[in-house]
Amino acid sequence: MSKPLAVVPSPPPRNWWLWGTTAILVIAMTWWSGVGIGFSLSELWCNLAGGHRLLRESWPPAFAFLPRLVRPFLETLQIAIIGTVIGGVLAVPVAVLAARNLTLGPMTWFVDRNFMNILRTLPDLFWAMLFATAVGFGPVAGALALSVFTIAVISKLFSESLESIDMAMPEAVRAAGGNWLHMVQFGALPQAISHYISYALYAFELNVRASMVLGLVGAGGIGMILETQRANFEYERVTVIILAVLVAVLIIEKLSETLRRRLA
Amino acid sequence: MNDRLLLKPQRQIGWASWTTFIVAGLFLVSVLALDLSAERLIRLPGQILEVMSFFYPADMAYGWSAVLPAIIESIQIAWVGTIIAALLSLPLALFGARTLFPRIARVVKLISATARAFPEILLAIYFVPIVGLGPFAGALAIGISSVGMLTKLGAEVVESIDMGPVEAVQAAGGSRLAALRYAVLPQVLPELVAHWLFRFELNIRASAVLGVVGAGGVGGVLLNTLRYQQFEKAAAVLVLTILVVLVIDMASGEIRRRIIRG
Repeated sequence: MSKPLAVVPSPPPRNWWLWGTTAILVIAMTWWSGVGIGFSLSELWCNLAGGHRLLRESWPPAFAFLPRLVRPFLETLQIAIIGTVIGGVLAVPVAVLAARNLTLGPMTWFVDRNFMNILRTLPDLFWAMLFATAVGFGPVAGALALSVFTIAVISKLFSESLESIDMAMPEAVRAAGGNWLHMVQFGALPQAISHYISYALYAFELNVRASMVLGLVGAGGIGMILETQRANFEYERVTVIILAVLVAVLIIEKLSETLRRRLA
Repeated sequence: MNDRLLLKPQRQIGWASWTTFIVAGLFLVSVLALDLSAERLIRLPGQILEVMSFFYPADMAYGWSAVLPAIIESIQIAWVGTIIAALLSLPLALFGARTLFPRIARVVKLISATARAFPEILLAIYFVPIVGLGPFAGALAIGISSVGMLTKLGAEVVESIDMGPVEAVQAAGGSRLAALRYAVLPQVLPELVAHWLFRFELNIRASAVLGVVGAGGVGGVLLNTLRYQQFEKAAAVLVLTILVVLVIDMASGEIRRRIIRG
């Protein structure tokens, strides 16, 4: 009897050069960043004592503070709603002009596309700081900031949906003598409306979360109370605010997720 | 001769109209709740334009000397945060996959959902007193808050894999660990890395604002320049931030496309 023949497949060839350079680059970048920001585990360990004290101070949460949160909390939601509605409406033309198959011409496409990308680079709180400077502290600045932020979020996603629609309908509208607006209104938008609603809900989720912290830079909402309590080291109250924010965000996310799943 | 026959599709008043009514109603209530008088509303655009004109000649000397280092610090915060999150989320994503660990997955998903709900900046508020003012606190906050989302997305990736190779490894006598190493990881790694890179893009924006609560980065610079109404310096912050983020977005997007294509 001969020995059973063992067939061992040869392992696939590895691209050591690619893996090596990637690994070295990642490690180098991490090292450089770690040193740059003063990352140190020993310091973290030593400071945990301070953290312990902080945790003791911030517990138990001062639930008596809760009633004073109701008004700012409503204001926060209002900011998020206004931002989502204004931004959501303005995002439609931006998205249509940035969709390669619908736009008016290469020049419009180029300008609008870049406008959209530049809007997207700035984070929500930057817009809040800018509008707080321009129109004064308060919820109006927050609502304007979230409007711009919403345009940035929705238009990018929606223009990608518009690019993947079936072009037969828009062409049919054109062939029947419709102008460009008719084509967009009757041929293109109805195909992507469910995507649009889903993106709008997603933007609303982001906006609720953002509107909670807008107050840190003076743009209204519950964040303003958070900022004053934090500045006074009232950590029991900070805990209450953060818990309230957490619960609200989770509830709204759950609602919006259910709605989105229904639509899909 | 009869007239031209005009066929029109029926108009429907369905859920879409109701949604529009409700949204419009909520919007109106919200706008009325803001103390936005008509007079102020009319002044608003002019006000914004006027302030915008202050920004015009960007003070680039200040930009190169003070803003660029802050932006680099933001990038470093985002990078360290992303690395922390990637390292923590890799095992969590595996444990969070229903298909591999049906019992633990539920708990892991619950934890990740809670971590996701925290805005980074609120975490930073807690980390700043713990590890002191500075970028380290920012990196920790970014890392912890990214773990949630990366775990969720990673678990979804793991759940979508072809289970054939896993069964093959186990049928050949391999342990569960061997199955993870030889059947699961090779299938999910490209997509996971793509998610990590995407999260890095988001984290750059997140780390840029952390300076507001004293956790390092370019946000503090912008806040201070605006507070002291040094609009030309603030303009330098905006210009440089936009440029740097655009470049990083493009580079990262390109790498992601290549990784996914294989």
